[in-house]
Amino acid sequence: MAIFNITYSGISADLAGELDEILADDEIRKIAVEVVRSGGIPGLHIANLADDAFDQFVVDRFDTPEGGKRIYLRPKVPFGNRG
Amino acid sequence: MRIVFCGVGALGSHAGWLCRNLPAEMSFVDFDRVESKNLLAQAFTKQALGRNKAEAMRLQLLNFYGVRATAFPVRIESTNVESLGEPADLLVDCLDNVAGRHVLSTYARASSKPLVHAALSADGQFGLIRWDEHFVPDPEDVAGQATCEGGEHLPAIARIGAALAGIVQEFVELGLKRDVMVARSGITTTSLVDASPATRRYHVPSSRSAGAQANDFEVR
Repeated sequence: MAIFNITYSGISADLAGELDEILADDEIRKIAVEVVRSGGIPGLHIANLADDAFDQFVVDRFDTPEGGKRIYLRPKVPFGNRG
Repeated sequence: MRIVFCGVGALGSHAGWLCRNLPAEMSFVDFDRVESKNLLAQAFTKQALGRNKAEAMRLQLLNFYGVRATAFPVRIESTNVESLGEPADLLVDCLDNVAGRHVLSTYARASSKPLVHAALSADGQFGLIRWDEHFVPDPEDVAGQATCEGGEHLPAIARIGAALAGIVQEFVELGLKRDVMVARSGITTTSLVDASPATRRYHVPSSRSAGAQANDFEVR
């Protein structure tokens, strides 16, 4: 199991419970939509969140030194192809 | 200690401005010039209009604060990265293009130079600061995606620039390498590595809140 963090619209918060770490990235994006709509993320409750709200978001996965897992769903920081 | 800031735009100009207190020599690298549209998002004054950004930063630090720095008004490329990076004890990537980030990352890995990357999301709501050990550039949503040039995101830019300056300071003074995500709700540490010569340990928080601050995490 992994602690799940979502950053959306300038707010970053953890899911109250843990998430199965073996989930695929697309499954995580779908779950994120559901938990934000339902108010499962403290401080990030958007009942009418669009289905594709997280389609372009990045899923980062980290191991913790204690042997745990963390999953972060965050916006891209793309910075163009100029130059 | 010599710090080389690569890219002196929104993040690079603010971070460089906030690193003026460090016991370090700073260098700035950027080929671009200051335009009027930059004044609301970057730490340049009206007097800098038309100047090369690296040179403008050097002049502002010298004239306003008496801090000496060096400027390299060039684009970072594979042909010059070695000569620009060789004197550096720390490289700071604030570029606005993925090609330049790759050039820096390749050089840093080949030369074992410490390199920290900073980036801002297109909507100006989110920033990421990550050491090269964990760095993977994100793809664009659309080709040639615009970066922030107006003043709409200035508070977020300043917040991320300040976080980057704090991370640079932490490395210079304590040898720590901290990765963070910067949102409006706060700064979240995603990794903390003690890179000082004596110890090299990983410290990642086992739990934290959205508003966790940098000093919430102890280094053992």
